[in-house]
Amino acid sequence: MLFKQLLEYSQPKLRVLSEDQKNALHSASLDVLQRTGISVQSEVTRKRLADAGCQIDADRIKIPERLIEWSLSQCPKHVVLCDRDGNPAMALEGRNCYFGTGSDTPFVIDIDSGLHRSAVIEDIENVSRLTDALHNLDFLMCMGIASDVPAQISDLYHFQAMVSNTNKPIVFTAWNSSNLEAIVRMAEAVAGSLENLIRNPFIALYSEPIAPLIHSQLGCEKLEVICRLGLPVVYTPGLITGASSPVSYAGAIVVANAEILSGLLITQLIHPGTPVIAGGGGMMTMDMHSMIASYGAPEFMLDWCSLREMGAYYGLPVFGFAGVSDAHIFDQQAGIEGALWVLLSALAGGNLIHDVGYLESGLTTSYEMIVAMDETIGLVKRFMEGVLVSDDTLALNTIASVGPGGHFLTERHTLDHFRENWRPDVFCHSNRANWEGAGASSLGDKALQKARKIISTHTPVPLTEHVIAGIETILKEARAQLDGID
Amino acid sequence: MKDEYEMIFKAVIEGDVEGVDKLVRDALNGGAKSGDILNQGLIRAMDEVGNRFERGDFFVPEMLISAKAMKTGLAILRPYLVEAGVASVGRVIIGTIKGDLHDIGKNLVTMMLEGGGFEVIDLGTDVAPEKFASAVREYSPDIVGMSALLTTTMVQMKNAIEAIDDLGLRDQVKVIIGGAPVTQGYAEKIGADGYAPDAIKAVNLAKSILRSTG
Repeated sequence: MLFKQLLEYSQPKLRVLSEDQKNALHSASLDVLQRTGISVQSEVTRKRLADAGCQIDADRIKIPERLIEWSLSQCPKHVVLCDRDGNPAMALEGRNCYFGTGSDTPFVIDIDSGLHRSAVIEDIENVSRLTDALHNLDFLMCMGIASDVPAQISDLYHFQAMVSNTNKPIVFTAWNSSNLEAIVRMAEAVAGSLENLIRNPFIALYSEPIAPLIHSQLGCEKLEVICRLGLPVVYTPGLITGASSPVSYAGAIVVANAEILSGLLITQLIHPGTPVIAGGGGMMTMDMHSMIASYGAPEFMLDWCSLREMGAYYGLPVFGFAGVSDAHIFDQQAGIEGALWVLLSALAGGNLIHDVGYLESGLTTSYEMIVAMDETIGLVKRFMEGVLVSDDTLALNTIASVGPGGHFLTERHTLDHFRENWRPDVFCHSNRANWEGAGASSLGDKALQKARKIISTHTPVPLTEHVIAGIETILKEARAQLDGID
Repeated sequence: MKDEYEMIFKAVIEGDVEGVDKLVRDALNGGAKSGDILNQGLIRAMDEVGNRFERGDFFVPEMLISAKAMKTGLAILRPYLVEAGVASVGRVIIGTIKGDLHDIGKNLVTMMLEGGGFEVIDLGTDVAPEKFASAVREYSPDIVGMSALLTTTMVQMKNAIEAIDDLGLRDQVKVIIGGAPVTQGYAEKIGADGYAPDAIKAVNLAKSILRSTG
């Protein structure tokens, strides 16, 4: 017990803003909300804001500080997402990091041919099964936009494909409020009742404002539906710095933060206490030559880390990014950018970290990328455990008994602890001769093999016949309605 | 399978050194044949340990502690095996080459070889070429194993092979080498009989070399 006083567990952390800087960014965001104002395109939402005390100035809504303070006092700081069975799976608070796939890429890299093509519903089923099996992924987004189902209701097909192939929490997108209502009814069928779904939500809607500073008609309508039920929603900015925000770090953060705070107010006015993952968000950097919205830019990384700290400043759950790249195929660049994001998001302390598997700035999904990033997340999760200093971990007795020149390989202490070390699955830790003997495979080859194996062998826990039929009925109704319109 | 062999088998797999010590003595006192204890207890257990390692259920520390248990049992059996005329797996002299004090790799190979039933004479670290040669004369091993971590000391391996040759003993012994900078190509270049990239492969190599020489 010599070192009892040293018993301590410290987690690695990254900090990019000072307290003074956060205060200044907060004040500047309030200035934007009060002086510049925001655009709210839904009449219902505009009226709600006016009734609450916002000043309506033509198409601008100007928000006083006291309403921002009020909304921050109303929104839950403790947001839990459950799995499909209703068991708590993710506590979105503090520095808890959870990782998941992204959503809505038009393209995928075909798992068999390696060719770039439009995503189809089978891809969403495959990614869902893959995510269900990969140990380091905590939640699912649909990855692709299926091109082989009716486009107006493809979001319903996405949800069906996801919920049928994973037990993990689902973050979903919806094209409009009526589709959203249909998806909630599907989730209700899975949960058994709306009451169950609200009490133990396994879904969260993803929606976003339009930069700069617009809350769209469609976006507001979706917020009305989801907030009235009190179901969780991710409502975070997606701006392109230099284009839809100032190019400078601070200016971009202020625009994003003003969108966050005004969006939060809208949600809490609809239904105080609605769980909102409002912190963080996308601040892609406009490449001023190619004009892409870059996910691999260092500016986006620093912008996001800053926005995460603003989220934590308000006590909001934070939405983040990892395993994402501007590369067009799973190559060295994809690995480097993807892994940097995984480490950064964990060190910064994002909570709901999505987009694992994105290539081409979010336009293409790669199976190899998902698997390689799952592996990276495992490595980073081990790193994030930090150093535990205790009598046992100090191992003074073992050091004394081995002494200079001995070895620790067969010590009891080694046997008791070595399995705590992280072990790779697709990363290579073998020597050259053994690597060559095993076929000299690259990471991409091994990741692809693992993806194929999981997809062909992994069987997710199926939904009951009753639930499957319920979901199918909702889809049938949506299809019939669509045919009626046509 | 007799219960006593099964218990020895289990004790080796669990790395229970004291247990193996007692169980092997009890079995001998009970009249069991030394060759049966060896084959049905110890060697069968180490085969199983090897399988578990291949499957990824066992790792190096578990293998080594089983090897330690195996070595303990074998040391007790050895005089009985000699008396019964049971051939030993083989004798190896091993050492880290002159100028090099790194011995973790060499120790790993030593322990793995012992786990494989070999009798290993460890010459330690910083072993001069002449010392390897005189040890070959003294112990008449089947195999000489040499290890180096540093590229600057690697060259001494060639000198050691020459020193063994100078005493006229080169054709009586097989030389195998290993260590981080060592390659199959280097082994061929200096006239060694084999190279292995890790301790597990070293045991396989030692066994296959002795099989091919009969």
